[in-house]
Amino acid sequence: MAGRRVLITGVSTHLGAQAALRLEQDPEIEHLIGIDSVPPTAPLKRMEFIQADIREPEMLSILPETRVDMVIHNNILRRPRQGMSPQAAHDINVIGTLQLLTACEHADTIKAIVVRGSAGIYGAEPSAPQFFTEEMARLYASRTRFQRDVSEIEAYFENYARRRPDVICTMLRYQPAIGTVLNTQVTRYLAMPVLPTFLGFDPRLQFVHQHDGLEALVAAVKNPVRGAVNVASAGTIGLTRMVRLARKPSLPLPSGLFGSVVDAGRRVGLESLSDDFRRLLRYGRAVDLRRLTEEVGYRPRYTTTSALVEYLAMVRGELAPMHETAA
Amino acid sequence: MTAAIAFMRRLRGALESGVELPVALSSAAAGLPRASRAKVERAVERLGGDYEEDEWGFDEEFTEAAFPFFEFMYDRWWRTRAKGVNNVPGHGRALLVANHAGVVPWDATMIGVALLRNHPLPRYPRFLVLNWAFELPYASVLLRKLGGVPASQHNARHLLEEDQLVAVFPEGVKGAGKDYSQRYRLQRFGRGGYVELAIATGAPLVPVAVVGSEEIYPKLGENRLLARLSGAPYFPLTPLFPWLGPLGAMPLPSKWRIEFCEAIPTAHYGADRANDQRLVLELSERVQETIQQKLYENLVERGAAFV
Repeated sequence: MAGRRVLITGVSTHLGAQAALRLEQDPEIEHLIGIDSVPPTAPLKRMEFIQADIREPEMLSILPETRVDMVIHNNILRRPRQGMSPQAAHDINVIGTLQLLTACEHADTIKAIVVRGSAGIYGAEPSAPQFFTEEMARLYASRTRFQRDVSEIEAYFENYARRRPDVICTMLRYQPAIGTVLNTQVTRYLAMPVLPTFLGFDPRLQFVHQHDGLEALVAAVKNPVRGAVNVASAGTIGLTRMVRLARKPSLPLPSGLFGSVVDAGRRVGLESLSDDFRRLLRYGRAVDLRRLTEEVGYRPRYTTTSALVEYLAMVRGELAPMHETAA
Repeated sequence: MTAAIAFMRRLRGALESGVELPVALSSAAAGLPRASRAKVERAVERLGGDYEEDEWGFDEEFTEAAFPFFEFMYDRWWRTRAKGVNNVPGHGRALLVANHAGVVPWDATMIGVALLRNHPLPRYPRFLVLNWAFELPYASVLLRKLGGVPASQHNARHLLEEDQLVAVFPEGVKGAGKDYSQRYRLQRFGRGGYVELAIATGAPLVPVAVVGSEEIYPKLGENRLLARLSGAPYFPLTPLFPWLGPLGAMPLPSKWRIEFCEAIPTAHYGADRANDQRLVLELSERVQETIQQKLYENLVERGAAFV
């Protein structure tokens, strides 16, 4: 499949830029196009940048003109950006996806769509399966706004995949990411001076190392498979052990107080925690990786524990940061 | 004793001089006998995050540390005797099926002790626990560390595919919440989901009869209102609970017998027959009858419940 034309949305985000840099190195991709509402700051050489907002109807004319054979949808926000209202984040996630899909319907060159979605669709539940497999989405009612958003986005894609059986739709369900070049809920949580936890709970958590997250995306671009695929580094870690490895004091709070204390912390300038992340801190979540390793053909290089240990060592300056992804 | 007092004094001195707890602990441990010093140093390492749990949260070191307590309960408190441990395969997947009483999984832990002490190839069983327990603070942590897993088909299947030894209690809440007058009368075994699982994964079924566990919390009645308020599946009233508060959770010292019955192989059916409802019900019936019969036998053999 030499000479491919690939389009990626959300290239100005941290992860989008990393992915674009990585895809630029791929000799199979002849032409790479990036879309975002602001220009990327990363030193991208080969990529053609188009400034556009995926929520706007102009996508309808832009996308078919690019004559791409693959679209990577990387513009799903885990959490509203600084100064962004939850409504705006919801618009970008849901309306943006809808607009993008409508545009894709009018582009007959498209053979595959790969979405950087979220494992947030599974939620975090006390009695949940220890490892969610791909068909276990919507086992429980959606409890947070983001979970509802992801669920809607997936429903749009399922619909689209049904209407266009000639297009392969891959929904990658990412666990929360961790890495020194990233700014995610996990890294922000670990940067807090005191780590709030739920008194008497020690959830099993699972993350994806930035390297695994990126390489899983590249593997899916090379070998798109139909349907959902979980993406995470292998294994799980208990929150208590994570806090101890971080060498930070924890602040165990009874569940009734957790919300108000964390909200009060936000008012004095501490990090806020999203509803999804709060549920993770209470009940945890892990996913099954057999589909990723067997069908997409990517075996994670890290375990959740080794990803965390490496990250913490780098943040403390005990290990030099890697530049493999930014090379 | 004097060593312990000296240890506490040094610990307090160190903490007052402003050192952090791990440092204070290890410096205070310097004067202890070697064995206790090693224990304190190990505890310090755990405080630094240096311990292993598997991906299910099972903490072997923790379970081993708690083992003397469970052995005390096994030997002294309940005077347990185990039979037929060799019916449990020494390696590979297998599904232990037992009768159930009480929300606190004493029966699961005692089955574990029986296996670890008497089996030529000892290993820890994993056990499925009522989901509700995982909403509770502390209980959820403790259960996971000891090898408990939220009860669901998915989890059981995953564990069996990892070639683990898994214990299930198909009576579920019906069994745990039955009245004292109903003790040792097996409740319906769900819809036989555990048999489907065994056939699908080719794991042998090992029926286990536990006598004694149904007397430790004699349930005389229940309170619907308190159950609804606490979110519990039922709220038991026993001679001690809730009248004595947390002390009421103390199990009564009944005499225990645990019998592991002959294993029922399922591998020869083939995974496809997991949907064969007739076969599933047939096997489920067989397991249930085996356990019921062994319960009666062991009850007669044991004699009086408490003396």
